[in-house]
Amino acid sequence: MAHVLLVEDNEMNRDMLSRRLIKAGHTVSMAFDGSQGVAMARAGGHDIILMDMSLPVIDGWEATRQIRGSEGLATIPIIALTAHAMAGDRDKAMAAGCSDYDTKPVEIVRLLDKMAALLDGAR
Amino acid sequence: MSEPTRALSAAQVSALRHDLRTPVNHIVGYCELMLEDAVGHPDGIRESALRAAIVGARDVIGLIDGTLSASGRNVTRDDVVALQQRLRTPHDQIMAAVDILASSAMAGADDAFLSDTVKVRKATGTLLIDHLQEQRPPNGPAAGPDNAAIATAVRVTGRGRILVVDDVEENRDVLSRLLSRQGYQVQCAADGLEALRMAADASYDLMLLDIRMPGLDGQQVLRRVKQDPATRDLPVVMISAADDLETIAACIEAGAEDLLPKPFDPVILRARVSASVEKKRLRNREVDYLRQVDRVVEAAIAVERGQYTTGSLTAVAAREDAIGHLARVFDAMAAGVRAREERLNDQVDTLRREIDEAQWGAASGGASPLDPGTLLPGTQFGERYTITRVVGRGGMGTVYKAHDRELSEDIAIKLIRPDVLSGDPTLVDRFKSEIRLARRISHRNVVRTHDFGEWEGACYVTMEYVEGITVRDLIDMRGHLSATATIGVARQLAASLAVAHEQGVVHRDIKPQNLLLDAAGVLKVMDFGIARLADRNTVLTQAGMLVGTPAYMAPEQLMAEDVDARSDLYAAGITLYECLTGSLPYVGENPFALIAKVLHHVPPTPHERRPEIPLPLSALVMQLMAKDAGDRPANAVAMGELLAQLG
Repeated sequence: MAHVLLVEDNEMNRDMLSRRLIKAGHTVSMAFDGSQGVAMARAGGHDIILMDMSLPVIDGWEATRQIRGSEGLATIPIIALTAHAMAGDRDKAMAAGCSDYDTKPVEIVRLLDKMAALLDGAR
Repeated sequence: MSEPTRALSAAQVSALRHDLRTPVNHIVGYCELMLEDAVGHPDGIRESALRAAIVGARDVIGLIDGTLSASGRNVTRDDVVALQQRLRTPHDQIMAAVDILASSAMAGADDAFLSDTVKVRKATGTLLIDHLQEQRPPNGPAAGPDNAAIATAVRVTGRGRILVVDDVEENRDVLSRLLSRQGYQVQCAADGLEALRMAADASYDLMLLDIRMPGLDGQQVLRRVKQDPATRDLPVVMISAADDLETIAACIEAGAEDLLPKPFDPVILRARVSASVEKKRLRNREVDYLRQVDRVVEAAIAVERGQYTTGSLTAVAAREDAIGHLARVFDAMAAGVRAREERLNDQVDTLRREIDEAQWGAASGGASPLDPGTLLPGTQFGERYTITRVVGRGGMGTVYKAHDRELSEDIAIKLIRPDVLSGDPTLVDRFKSEIRLARRISHRNVVRTHDFGEWEGACYVTMEYVEGITVRDLIDMRGHLSATATIGVARQLAASLAVAHEQGVVHRDIKPQNLLLDAAGVLKVMDFGIARLADRNTVLTQAGMLVGTPAYMAPEQLMAEDVDARSDLYAAGITLYECLTGSLPYVGENPFALIAKVLHHVPPTPHERRPEIPLPLSALVMQLMAKDAGDRPANAVAMGELLAQLG
């Protein structure tokens, strides 16, 4: 199982999703804004990052760009999560450096499958 | 057909999708979590209620996606209003399921299940909010908050500055809007560290602090705020859901002002925020007041150190309140003290000049007022003293200046006449006892008594030697002293009596002969402890043997009644009378006549004798000379205070 960095500013989202990930066997670290997310990612120890796009301080797109530009983090799987789910959001996320993209409400099975695929690919 | 002006921008549509899909995410997520636990639960109704809620949530998603296009185009305000109407059905469906879940949780006392159910209810409730009305301005492609959005002064007003600390963006927005509508200036922080930084950088009247936050939680932020002297006066109201009672109690113990429950009730919010801001305003006034008190205390210390500058308290004195009044009075008093000090220095200068002039007059024309003594200069007195010369002679004996060979310094030796100590075998012991008491007095206005001894059958006392002139000599040479010089003598005499009386020593023979003035104008009182020897000789039946000086003796002393410190004040009064007028108030052809006058006659006041003498000074001298001790000033300290009032 993986160590997940969940970057999410919404309290209920963090609470709910972290519990579901832990139930699925993962360990979870949490950051609640983009800047913290970048700092924690750079600190290392994570296998995959779940990145909300609407974040305070710096948003998910910018946070993803900074993580990708950091040493040793060029290939870490990053899944963008957004409740906007607007057309073009997926492309923007991928352009910023995300590995995959999913929308809220989270379909947990689908999300876990995407995570598994990326983690398998990374290994 | 909708009017073009009612069309929404893509950013507005994006924000609406976010605002509506987010609670759906919560509903689905928590319901699925609870469903995993509910499967197989004895209460089968939980599973069916959860599935019903999830279906309702998916209906909501369908309605959102069907109305708010993912492209963001072709959406009008009317569409949004219609969507809100359509959302009522799934909303009610989910709420019905939530009611069933809540009942089940409470029946089973399942706190964790109930907690999640409350979250689902809260998320469902937001579905019917007028999101278009509440929508924040579009901000970039995702309308997400940025730095500016987190720390934005919503409105600048005079009601107070409030810092809202909540990691949930929606909560921050709601509170900001509610409070700014009420006239407060609101800033927001999305996490604990940001809140601490902002609280340290700026002055707020209130912090609204969410308890549950990632990173530093509300309790930790509260503790740090209360530990930091710079922020500890900032009132903190905790924001909490009702299911967090233990934490709420801990926060209140840690110094939280109050609790603001979620969801926010505008009436409660207004009342609690208003009360807390008012409390902070009063605290600010208190702190400001104490700061002004500190300034007055600093001024008092400066006065004590002689460093006070008049007018230093101008800023405080300008206040209309009590501390302003205190500052004004203090400043006036300090100015008065300074003026009195200057007058005192003038008095001492005058006295010094008069001494110089008197000594110059004596040196240029007069012969020595002293008769030759028994001991010649060069006489070896005891094992360590060499007599230098006679400096005085009185009823008790002769005073010599002598050189202490052991300590290599000049001293004074008072050699007591043998007959003074004869006739009573206990008298020498009593004399020694008096000398022991007198040795305790250490003051710049008292001639220091060193030791007691016997030499060739005669007792003697050694004392500090003071090069100077007695007030007796001064009066004799000048005729009288000026009022200013007399006050200079009087104040120093009062100071010396105050310290002696405090030690339990009454002089009993204050008179101009016993008051020495050195070249700097410092008065030194001689013979403390020695005059008592003369007491036995002052009774009327032995009038022919009077050793003391009845002209300066109080009525009670002459009548051999109880003598106390006030008898010294009487003698001081006679002395000062003589200083001012150059003559004694009572003169008799013989001791009996003198005593009769002292007891029954009222002399003219100094002012009547010399009209240029100020009336207050004249009156004080007469008060000191009151025949009844009870009519005199209570003690030497009171005498000093009365003199101080004269300037």
